[in-house]
Amino acid sequence: MTEIKHHAYLFDATRCIDCRACMVACSVENNIEMDKTRIWVAGVGIKGEYPELQRGTMVYHCMHCDHPDCMSACPVGAYTKAEDGPVTYNPDLCIGCRYCMNACPFGVPHFDYDKGIIEGAFIDKCTFCPQRIYNGQEPACVQTCPTDALEYGDREELIARAHARIADHPGRYIDHVYGEKENGGTSYLIISHIPFGELGLPNLPATPVNEVSEKVMEITIPFALGWGAILTGVAAGVNLYNKKKEKTAVEEKAEKSK
Amino acid sequence: MTKTVSRRDFLKLGAASVGALAIGQMLPPKVARAAWDNGALNADGDGHISTMCEMCVWRCGLIAKVVKGRVVKLDGNPDHPHSRGNLCPRGQSGLMNTYDPDRVLTPLIRAGKRGEGIFRPATWEEALDLVANKILEIKGKYGAEAMVFSSTHNLSQPLFENLLYAFGSPNYGTQRSLCFNAMIVANTMTYGMEEPARIYDDKLKYILLTGRNLLEAISTSETHDLIMAIDRGAKVVYLDPRYTKTASKATEWLPVKPGNDLAFHLALLNVIVGENLYNRSFVEKNTIGFDELKKEVHRYTPEWAAPLTGIPAETISRIAHEFAQAAPHALAHNGWRTSNFINSFHTQRAITILNALVGNWNVVLQDAGGEESGTLGAPSQPAYPRISALRLDGVPWKYPVVPFKIGVFQELRDNIVSGDPYQAHGWFISRQNPVMSLPDRGKTLKAFEKLDFIVTMDIILNDTAWFSDVILPEASYLERYDPLVPIGDKVFIRQPVIEPQGDAKSALWVYKQLGERLGIGDFFQYADEEDYLRQQLAPTGISLEEIKAKGYAELREAPHAGESAELNWNTPSGKIELFSETLAKVGFPGVPTWEEPPQPAEDQFYLLTGKVAQSTQFGTQNNQLLHKYSDEPRLWMNSKTAENLGLANEDWVEVTSSVGQIHTRLLVTQAIRPDCVYMTPGYGHLSKGLKTAFGIGAADSAVHVTYTDPISGGQALSQTFVTVKKV
Amino acid sequence: MKLNLTIQPRFRLNFSPLVWVLLILMGIAFVTAMIRYIFGIGAISDLSYSYPWGFWISFDLFTGVVISSGGFLMAGSVYILGIKEFQPLLRPSVLTAFLGYIMVAIALLVDLGHPERIWYMMIHWNGTSVLLEIGICVMSYLTVLAIEFAPVAFEGFKLQKWAHLIHKYIMPFVILGVVLSTLHQSSLGSLLLIQPAKLHPLWWTPVLPIMFFTSAISVGLAMIILESSLSSRYFQRGLETHLLEKLAKAIPVVLAIYLVLKFGELAFAGDLHYLFTSGGFSILFWAEILIGAVAPIIWFSVRGNRKSANGLLAGAIILLLGMILNRFNVSWFAVRHPDPMFYMPAFMSNVHYMPTLPEISVSLGIFAAGILAFGLAAKYLPVFEEEHDPKAPSFGD
Ligand SMILES: Nc1nc2c(c(=O)[nH]1)N[C@H]1C(S)=C(S)[C@@H](COP(=O)(O)OP(=O)(O)OC[C@H]3O[C@@H](n4cnc5c(=O)[nH]c(N)nc54)[C@H](O)[C@@H]3O)O[C@H]1N2
Ligand SMILES: Nc1nc2c(c(=O)[nH]1)N[C@H]1C(S)=C(S)[C@@H](COP(=O)(O)OP(=O)(O)OC[C@H]3O[C@@H](n4cnc5c(=O)[nH]c(N)nc54)[C@H](O)[C@@H]3O)O[C@H]1N2
Ligand code: SF4
Ligand code: SF4
Ligand code: SF4
Ligand code: SF4
Ligand code: SF4
Ligand SMILES: [Mo]
Repeated sequence: MTEIKHHAYLFDATRCIDCRACMVACSVENNIEMDKTRIWVAGVGIKGEYPELQRGTMVYHCMHCDHPDCMSACPVGAYTKAEDGPVTYNPDLCIGCRYCMNACPFGVPHFDYDKGIIEGAFIDKCTFCPQRIYNGQEPACVQTCPTDALEYGDREELIARAHARIADHPGRYIDHVYGEKENGGTSYLIISHIPFGELGLPNLPATPVNEVSEKVMEITIPFALGWGAILTGVAAGVNLYNKKKEKTAVEEKAEKSK
Repeated sequence: MTKTVSRRDFLKLGAASVGALAIGQMLPPKVARAAWDNGALNADGDGHISTMCEMCVWRCGLIAKVVKGRVVKLDGNPDHPHSRGNLCPRGQSGLMNTYDPDRVLTPLIRAGKRGEGIFRPATWEEALDLVANKILEIKGKYGAEAMVFSSTHNLSQPLFENLLYAFGSPNYGTQRSLCFNAMIVANTMTYGMEEPARIYDDKLKYILLTGRNLLEAISTSETHDLIMAIDRGAKVVYLDPRYTKTASKATEWLPVKPGNDLAFHLALLNVIVGENLYNRSFVEKNTIGFDELKKEVHRYTPEWAAPLTGIPAETISRIAHEFAQAAPHALAHNGWRTSNFINSFHTQRAITILNALVGNWNVVLQDAGGEESGTLGAPSQPAYPRISALRLDGVPWKYPVVPFKIGVFQELRDNIVSGDPYQAHGWFISRQNPVMSLPDRGKTLKAFEKLDFIVTMDIILNDTAWFSDVILPEASYLERYDPLVPIGDKVFIRQPVIEPQGDAKSALWVYKQLGERLGIGDFFQYADEEDYLRQQLAPTGISLEEIKAKGYAELREAPHAGESAELNWNTPSGKIELFSETLAKVGFPGVPTWEEPPQPAEDQFYLLTGKVAQSTQFGTQNNQLLHKYSDEPRLWMNSKTAENLGLANEDWVEVTSSVGQIHTRLLVTQAIRPDCVYMTPGYGHLSKGLKTAFGIGAADSAVHVTYTDPISGGQALSQTFVTVKKV
Repeated sequence: MKLNLTIQPRFRLNFSPLVWVLLILMGIAFVTAMIRYIFGIGAISDLSYSYPWGFWISFDLFTGVVISSGGFLMAGSVYILGIKEFQPLLRPSVLTAFLGYIMVAIALLVDLGHPERIWYMMIHWNGTSVLLEIGICVMSYLTVLAIEFAPVAFEGFKLQKWAHLIHKYIMPFVILGVVLSTLHQSSLGSLLLIQPAKLHPLWWTPVLPIMFFTSAISVGLAMIILESSLSSRYFQRGLETHLLEKLAKAIPVVLAIYLVLKFGELAFAGDLHYLFTSGGFSILFWAEILIGAVAPIIWFSVRGNRKSANGLLAGAIILLLGMILNRFNVSWFAVRHPDPMFYMPAFMSNVHYMPTLPEISVSLGIFAAGILAFGLAAKYLPVFEEEHDPKAPSFGD
C-alpha cells in the first residue's frame, strides 16, 4: 500500500450488494453490543414498478468530515479530528448532551438511551478503526467487503480513482464524487448510479455546516466585552444625569427656600 | 428484525456460557501451546492463526485473531483463492457460531418424549457406548441396511463414509438432491465431470445466469468475480422470477415464469443451431449427437417459448445472438441449487450444451471441483465389505443415472415412512438438518416416528437434534482439525484456533471412537487428528508445521488443466455428448426435450425459495450477529397481487399447500412476479433450543410438497403451489 | 385556594389542595427521574437516534430560558436605564428568573447523559461550541441572579446589613447579568445555526441569534405582565396596572422589529416561497407568527386592552403561546432528522417522536417545584414591595 497521508474510504454503490458483511465485521472488530451498530444500510431499496425496477442502497457510517460538525458542536471537546483523517470520540469527556447528534448533518453519532448513570451512557460512532489502520490493516468493514464496494486508501488517490471510474463508464454513474466537496470535504467518498439524495445523503454545500455558528462564536467574546462597555457607559451616564438632576432639584429647592 | 437479542456483548456471552474456559485460561491450553510453538500465539495466548471457514461449503481461508485464548475477529486470508482477503457476512460472523450461548457442549441423551426437548448430559463414554450398542442392535435384528446415515458435504465426510460403508449400510443421504443434482447429473452426462470451472477472466463479456443468485447466495470469490466482471463491462442476463440483488446488478433481468427456463434455453439452442451461430469446428471436433439435437430443438422457436416464459421472442432471439457473438468469452452459468422443477435436469442439460455449442473454452474445459482430487495421501484401510442390500433412495433401481454418492435424499425419507422395500430402524445424522432441509417437514417427522434410534452430531440443538435420542456435540470449526483439503495447486488446513469448549470433540475423533466400538476400527487408522493430517501430507513432502503456520502450502505438482490439455472427456464416447446414449438406454430423452412443468391453479402461487446473504441454510439463524443484521423473514408478494387480494404489507397470512399450512407476515413488494410468492428458508424452527431463532418466521419446508425429477433425482422446490389468505 | 404551609403541631400536614397537587407532581417527577438514572433515558422517554432532543429541550430549556427573560429586562431597566418606577416589578421578575434558571438546570440534569459531569463544561472548553457558551452563561447568570436576589433573602431573614452590602456593589453584577442574558438568550438561537441542513428554511437563518434576542425581549415583557397579574390575583394584592401598561406599550414596537427582521431575512435569503408551500411547516410558521407577533401587536395597540387587567393578561398569554410555539418549532417541530430509508437496526428505527407521559411528568414536576418555590418565597420573603412605601429597602439605595 502506498503511504497514506489522509485516510479515506471510497464507496461504490454500483458494487454494493447489501450483504452486510461490513456491518458484521464492524460489530465483531469493535465489540459492538448486539442492539447497536456503527454502520448500516441506507437508501431507497427497491424503486420503480414491476418489472422496471432499480435498487439503491448504500452503506452508511461516519463521514470523517474535514470540518467535523460533531466536533464543532461538542461543548467539552470530546471529538478529535486527526490530521490524517479519522474523527474520534473520547467517552471520558462526554457529558451526554447529544448536541453532536443534532449537529452532524449525516445523523451519525448515536447514544446509549438504554444505559443508566452507573453503567454510563455514551455516544458511539465509527472510529475509522485506528487499531487497524495504524497497524497496516484496512478498516474491518473495508477489508471484508466481498465486492470491493468499499475501498480504503489515500484521499487524493481515491478521489482520482473515483473520477477515473466515472470517466471509464460513461452513463453508469452520476458524474459527482460525493464527499469531495460536501460539508467542506469528507473522508468517506461515494459514487453512485442513483441520486445521492435517494441514498439518504443530504444535499450539502461545500462550506461546512458549522461555518455560521463558528463565526458567531468567534465574535461572541468581543461582542460581550463591547456590550458590557456600552452598558457600563449607559449606566454611568444615566447615573450622572440622575445625580445632576437630583442636585439641580436640591439646588432649586435650596434656591427657593432662600 | 426488531427483536433485541441481548444487551450484553457477545464476548461476554460466550464467556458466560463457558465457565470451563475461564479456568482453562490458567494454563496455556493445548492448542494455544501448539500455536505458540509455531509462533502463532505469544505466551499470553494472543496472535493470529490461519484456518478455514465452515459457515458454508465454499470454505474461505481465514485468519483468526486470538486474544488470551479467545477468538475475537476473523479476517479473510488474502492468499486463499476462495476468500482473497474478503469474507461474506456469514464468514465474518463465524465466531458467534462458536460462542453461541445455545451451543451443545456435552453429549446429550434424551430423557423425555421425542420432541419434548428434555435431555440429560452424559459423558462421551456413555453416549458413544449407547450409540454403538443401539446401532449394533439394529444391525443384529434387521441387518446393517436398517441403519440410515446422512450428512451434508464437509471435510470429514470421507471418514463418515467409512463409518457407513464399513458398517455395511448402502443408505447414505446427502443434501445433494435438495441442492444441485440436476446440475451435477447434467454435467456428468454431457462432459463427464460434475461441475465445470467458471473462469471470470478479463475477456469474459457475457454471463447468462439462470436462477443463480450469486450476489445473495454468496460464494465469496465467485461473487467478487461477478461484480468485477460487471465492472469491466460484461453483460449479465439474469433469469429469476424475483428481482434479487443479483437482478439489480444485472444488465438485463428476465422475470421468467418458474419452471419455464427450459423453454427459454431450448429456444436459445433453436436459434443458435437454426441460424448457424454455433462454433462449427469446435462442435465437429469435440461433440457427438449434434444432429439429434438439431432435430429436437427445431421445434423450440423463440415464438414458441415466448408465451411459456413470459419473455418476448425478440429478446430470446437477441440474447441467442449476443451470446453466440460473445463466445468463447461467454458463460452460461448452470446455477447451483438447481432443484426447482421436475424438468430441471433438461434445463441443466440445455445450459451445459449451450456452452459447448459456442465453444466456451473457459467453461467446458476445466473441472471446478478439485477438492477431492487425489494428490494427498490417506491412512491405509481395508476394502469395504460388499453390500448387497438395495438402497432405500431408489438409486439405481429407480434412478438409474443418479450417481451413488449423490443419492435421492427425499426418496430415502419417503421410504423410511413407507417401509418399502424394507423398514429402516435407525438414523445417524451428521452436520445436517433434514427436519428443515427436506421438503414436507411433517413427513420427515413421520419418518422419525418409524425409527427406533436417531443420533445427531451437531454444534447446536438444531431441529433434527431436537427430535433425536442422542446428540453428539462436535467441536466447532474454530476448535478442531479437519482433513486437509487441496484446492487448485495449494493445500489448505482447518486447525483449531481455540480450545474446544466444554466436551466438544472433532468429527475425526468421534468417528474413530465409534468405528472402534462398531468393530470397524481398521478404517480409522490414525492416532489423533494431527496424525491423520500427517498421513495425508506424507506423499507431498510438506510438513504439517509449515502448513499450520501459513494456513496452506503449495503442492509440488500442481494439478493443471487448460486450453493446452489434450481434449478428452470422461464420457462413454470420450466427447461432449449433446446426445447421451446413457440416457437413451434407460429410457430418458437423449437430448434436452421440452417437458411441460405443472402450473398452479387460478388461486394458487408458485412458492419460491432462495438464500439470503445473512444466513446459510437452516443452521445460522441462531447466530446473534447474523440475526442482528437480518431482515425479518416475510412472505414476498407482488404489490398488484396483494392489492387484488385485499392484502396489505405486514398482514398476517395463512399459506396453504397440499401438505401443510403456515402463518407468516406479508412483505408487499414490486420485486416478484405476480404469480409467485417467496419465503426465506431457514426460519420457523421447531427447536426451542435455539433461543435466538425460535419463534421467528415460518418454515417453507412445512409446506413444500415432495416432487422428484425422475432423471437427476433432484427435488423440485419451486413446484409447490400455495394459496394465501389473510388470517 | 390559598397557599398554607403552616405545619401544625403533632406533625399533621395540612396543606392546601394546590400544594398537594404540586407535591404529588414533584413526587412523580422524582420517581421518574430515578428510573431514568437507573435504567437510562430510553426507559422513560421516546428520545431516540432520530430525536436526540425532544420535549425536555423544547420546554425546559428553550421555553424555560425565554420565559425567564423578565429578570434581566427589569434589572437592566431599573439599574442601567435608571427607570426607577419599575422597581416594584423588579423583585418578582428576578425571583421568576432565578427560579426559572434553577428549573432549567435541574431539567438539564435529567436530560444530560452524564449529569455528574456537568462541571466538565467549566474545565474542558471547546471554543467553537455554542452549547458551551450557553452552559457557561447559564451557570454564571444563575450565580448573578443569586446575588441579585440575595438581598431579598437576607431581608427576609432580617439580615439587613448583608442586604445593604450587596446593594452597594450590585451594579457590576447587573451589567454582567444583562451581558450574560443577551449572550445566551441569543445563543439559544445560535445553537440551531449548526443545523442548516436539518432546520426548515422558514426558521433557519444566520440571524437566528438576533431573532431569539428580539423575541426574548417581547416574551420577557409579557412574562412580567403575566406573573404580576397572576400573583396579584393569587395573593390578592394590588396590580401595578399603570406600570404594566407601559410595558404593554413597548411590546408592539419590539414585535414589529421582530416581524421586519423575520420577513426581511426570508426575503433576503429568497425563502419567501416556503411561506405557503411547506405544508405542515407553513402552518406551524403562520401559527407562531400570527399568535406570537401579529395578534399581540394588534391587541396591545388597543388602548383599552392595555388599561384593563384582563386585557393585559390576555394579551400576554397570547404572545407567550405564540412565542413558545416558536421555540418548539425551531427546536423540535421544524427539525428534520434523518429517516432510516432502507434497513436500519432496531435502535435506529424509531423515527417518530411523541413525548411520553413520564417525560412530560418530569417537566411538570420541576415546574410544580418552581411554583411552590415562588409561593414560598412570595409568602415568606419581601418579594412584593408596596409601591409607595418609601422605607422599603430597594436595591438601588
Ligand atoms: N448466503 C448464502 N449463500 C449460500 C448459501 C446459503 O445458504 N446462504 N448456500 C450455498 C449453497 S449450499 C448453494 S446450493 C448455493 C445456492 O445458490 P443459488 O443457486 O443461487 O440458489 P438459491 O438462492 O436457493 O435460489 C436462487 C434463485 O432461484 C430462484 N428460482 C426459484 N425457482 C426458479 C425457477 O423456476 N427458475 C429460475 N430461473 N429461478 C428460480 C429463486 O427466486 C432464487 O432467487 O448458495 C450457496 N451460498
Ligand atoms: N426450503 C428450502 N430447502 C432447501 C434449500 C432451500 O433453499 N430452501 N436449500 C437446499 C440446499 S441448496 C441445501 S445444500 C440443503 C442443505 O441442507 P442441510 O445440510 O440439511 O442444512 P444445513 O442447514 O446446511 O445443515 C447444517 C447443519 O450443520 C450444523 N453445523 C454447523 N457447523 C457444524 C459443525 O462444525 N459440525 C457439525 N457436526 N454440525 C455443524 C448446523 O447447525 C446445521 O444444523 O438444503 C436444501 N433445502
Ligand atoms: S459525519 Fe457527523 S459524526 Fe462524522 S465527522 Fe462528520 S459531523 Fe462528525
Ligand atoms: S453528547 Fe458528548 S460528545 Fe456529544 S456533544 Fe455532548 S458532550 Fe460532546
Ligand atoms: S471503519 Fe471501523 S469503526 Fe468505522 S464502520 Fe468501518 S469497521 Fe466500523
Ligand atoms: S460488505 Fe460490501 S457489498 Fe456487502 S454491504 Fe458492505 S459495502 Fe456492500
Ligand atoms: S462464502 Fe462466506 S460462509 Fe462460505 S466459506 Fe466463504 S466466508 Fe464462509
Ligand atoms: Mo446447496
